[in-house]
Amino acid sequence: MAHGTELDLDALELCFREGLASSEGADPREALGCGPDATDAEVARALVRVIAASDIAAIGTLSLDPDAARHPSVRPPTEVTADPSFLGRLSTAGSGELSVEQIDDMATLLAVLRAGSRRQRRAALMRVRERIIDRRLLQTDASRKAVQTLAELRDVELGYELAQTRTQLPGGTGREARNEREQWRRLAQRVESDIRAFWDGQSSVEPIHILPGDQRALLLLQICDLPDLVVNHISAIIEGTDGGVPLESRIGLLASLRYATDRRLVPTLVSVLEAERGELVARAARVLGGIEDARVHPALVERFERSFLLEERLALAGALGMHGDCRGLPEVRSSLEDPQPRLLLQALEAMESLGASEHTDLVSKFIEHPDVVIATQAARAAGRIADGRGLDELTERYNASSVPALRAAIEDALSAIAARMELRGEEVATIDWSEVRNKPAPPKGSRDSLPAITLGWRDYAMGRLWLVLGQSSWAVARFESAAARRIGWASPLIGIGMAFAHQEQYALALPAFRRALELDRPRIERNPILVRAMAKSFLHRAEQIEREGRDDVARGLVGEVLTLDLRRAPGTVRFELKRKHDVLRREEPDDVHSAA
Amino acid sequence: MSTRLRDAAIRHLRSRGGTGKGEGAVQRLSLDIEVSGRVETVILSLRDQDLQCVSSDGLSDGHHVIAALHFVAGLESHGDAPNAGPMLSPAVADEPRPPTELADALDDLLTAITRVGAGDAQYAPSVDAALERLIEAAPSPTPSGLGRFVGRLRRELGSENARGIARMLDGAARLVEALRSDSPSEECKRRIDAWLGAGSRANPEIEVLYDRTMVEVGREWLPGAERASIERRYLVDVHTGAIYREDRPRNAVASLGPCPRELRVGLAEVEAGAAPRRIRVLQYEVEPQVLQETWERLKQTASPSFAEVTDGYRRSLGAEPALSEPFALIKPYRIETNGVFKAFDPEGHQLVLDRTERRGAVLAFYELLAQGIEPAWLAGRLTDTGGTVCLSPFAIGTRDGRYLRL
Repeated sequence: MAHGTELDLDALELCFREGLASSEGADPREALGCGPDATDAEVARALVRVIAASDIAAIGTLSLDPDAARHPSVRPPTEVTADPSFLGRLSTAGSGELSVEQIDDMATLLAVLRAGSRRQRRAALMRVRERIIDRRLLQTDASRKAVQTLAELRDVELGYELAQTRTQLPGGTGREARNEREQWRRLAQRVESDIRAFWDGQSSVEPIHILPGDQRALLLLQICDLPDLVVNHISAIIEGTDGGVPLESRIGLLASLRYATDRRLVPTLVSVLEAERGELVARAARVLGGIEDARVHPALVERFERSFLLEERLALAGALGMHGDCRGLPEVRSSLEDPQPRLLLQALEAMESLGASEHTDLVSKFIEHPDVVIATQAARAAGRIADGRGLDELTERYNASSVPALRAAIEDALSAIAARMELRGEEVATIDWSEVRNKPAPPKGSRDSLPAITLGWRDYAMGRLWLVLGQSSWAVARFESAAARRIGWASPLIGIGMAFAHQEQYALALPAFRRALELDRPRIERNPILVRAMAKSFLHRAEQIEREGRDDVARGLVGEVLTLDLRRAPGTVRFELKRKHDVLRREEPDDVHSAA
Repeated sequence: MSTRLRDAAIRHLRSRGGTGKGEGAVQRLSLDIEVSGRVETVILSLRDQDLQCVSSDGLSDGHHVIAALHFVAGLESHGDAPNAGPMLSPAVADEPRPPTELADALDDLLTAITRVGAGDAQYAPSVDAALERLIEAAPSPTPSGLGRFVGRLRRELGSENARGIARMLDGAARLVEALRSDSPSEECKRRIDAWLGAGSRANPEIEVLYDRTMVEVGREWLPGAERASIERRYLVDVHTGAIYREDRPRNAVASLGPCPRELRVGLAEVEAGAAPRRIRVLQYEVEPQVLQETWERLKQTASPSFAEVTDGYRRSLGAEPALSEPFALIKPYRIETNGVFKAFDPEGHQLVLDRTERRGAVLAFYELLAQGIEPAWLAGRLTDTGGTVCLSPFAIGTRDGRYLRL
């Protein structure tokens, strides 16, 4: 074969590139040493052999191909909506002029904490933390206000950072946070040892799957601080290489990681994007949206470009939006504009990161949706868009609604809008809550007679005493007696609910809490201890019922408690209730397969 | 094993699930199957929506598995009759196509691409048709070697990389030669095994490993005949430094555990073939957290000489240009991070990162460098661009003994 010279090789390669059938290429038969009668197949075999052999022989390490030695650009160009406002240009890191790290003014930081994107809020929280750690600054009014804001902040998305920051606070809030941290530490140790037993073959029970929902949420909330062993185990479950956890549990675990920011999870989540389909992809995308890592954006883009399932695309669009890439916005917008929108909740969630001022009306119209979960999500999206023109409509809806959860979401949205207007330098909207009408007032009970009041108090006091002495059944009897004497009195009912909740008899606690809510809902919603016990009772009862296979009843329970204002309940409980609601309300897996 | 056969087995297993409360449902079946005088235990597990099959010889698509599926699917047609009839022979039920048919299909593909030209082949209907014919002519399910060839060829066609396409087709031409040979040499047999699986002939060349400690340093999903159809895990023997790949076709089972993990392998089989050699881990224990001393041992096995790495890469490509995807663990003598990352060995040979594949991993690697993290060792798949050997990074070990998966 005559293929020794470089010139021949170039010609042969050109011939291979252009094709034997091309009239432009010369016939390579002679150069390849094939006879004139050689078939195309013979010529093809000879041609590829020569080209491949010369290509492989040229491989070395001393020379460097200029193309191979180029730096990969840090980020591919993305379609980012230009928001010229302060918040639009505020970066989360770096020493630039408009960086959260450079802000010293506490009022500005607190406004960013209410109105910023998730990343900006996170960065602002860490900056506030830096400032309040400096004890000398604690005495200033601004710092005192910051401490108060941190104590009252109920942002589930910032759960980890908030828990970290609160441990630095003085007083009861700090003590409570440190206790919770200690509780987490013990739980993490226990789970770690259970995981070792699982992989050693000493136990066949997967340790995270069997945790009660609120404990799992507590554990995973601070996943950044968990040891590699636990994170590796979680990765194995997500990838389905643990040997037994069903698909439902993989989805549930991904939902539990919704607000995780641990980079150790990225390779696993990216592999889910690459290889899985449907809900697994959607949930992995939502987690990845919140993680700042160079691997995330290329993986989201790649999957978005080849996915055709709406469920996946909406989640991917929202996640890309969190990374400043708005390529999915047209799809999300058209999904909301559809007269009969599908996956409304998912589209509204995506709007949280993609929405801009011009989408306020599009989102706000869903605040009147009959489904409280969708209406609440619309209020959240409106709050994240935070356009001042939505204030009137939100206030009106606030006044008209009697659903506590929706009112709470609108309150948060109004605060976010006010904070954003403040940061834009606009006239700060003052929301006069006293003007709010139609607030559901506790129903007034009929006037009780003096003996009924006296005997009622006596029974109630005795009930409390028995409770302190650990005699729960006697205490409940006394509380029942007190409730019977005074029909409109919520305290004994709350006592019954708390007693049963303490004994983990959630099925019995629920009726008591329900009756108490009917009589005096605001009292429970405003008391962190009561609202925690009540919310946990609903959650644990729903878990019990779900284990019995009665998903509809469990869904009803979770939906019921989610209509209440749970902002004073622990973030982990609220998060787990929302997660369970999402998991229970989702439809059966779609039969249409994506291009996985 | 055809998809139809698997579906029939799934349907039957589901039908045994009972309709009412308390009837129970079939989740796992264990069958002892004899084929050609050899008895293997086959496990059929219904998990999620899939049926996972594996036999005690480690194969998920071998004759024993096919026979077990026929047995299950055969019961379906006979209802609940206790005497379900004789088990169909796999040879009768799933008649393997003659090897010449596959050789012809490969030859047609090679000719079609060469006629159209590498630059336009991705748009040519004749090439699409030839690829379809190839998949039809292949045993079902598509063997992972052949599937991977299809996946890689499609990628090269998409990027119009004429040299890459030539390598793929050269590999295919060698298989054609092996398939058509009347008295195939040992090399031809090894090649057929690499493409069509070790189960494709009676006495495949298999090395048996006992009592090894391995570390999984990376894993990825790769395209085969379909997108993301093979999960590949890279295992490194911490004593010998040998690198293996554990290929898990979608819906099949493989060893359990996350990445990274430490595997104490009691028994494993390693097939002859393209680098890295395919391993089937049969008996093992998993430690989901790799011990620090194991990382240290792993670091010792990393190659300090890039010239040797390059020679090995070149040899491997020369032997199997279409299937070879070498993976390496390198220990840079020094690195340059001035703009572009370059790793050097003591003799001045250099390696750069492949920025066309695993883009996110490369960007993350550069971020780590910007944070001041220096790699003590690097693990990655070897590639080449314009005659320069590159590394597509999967993991780095830092100087302070940490492992970072990319």
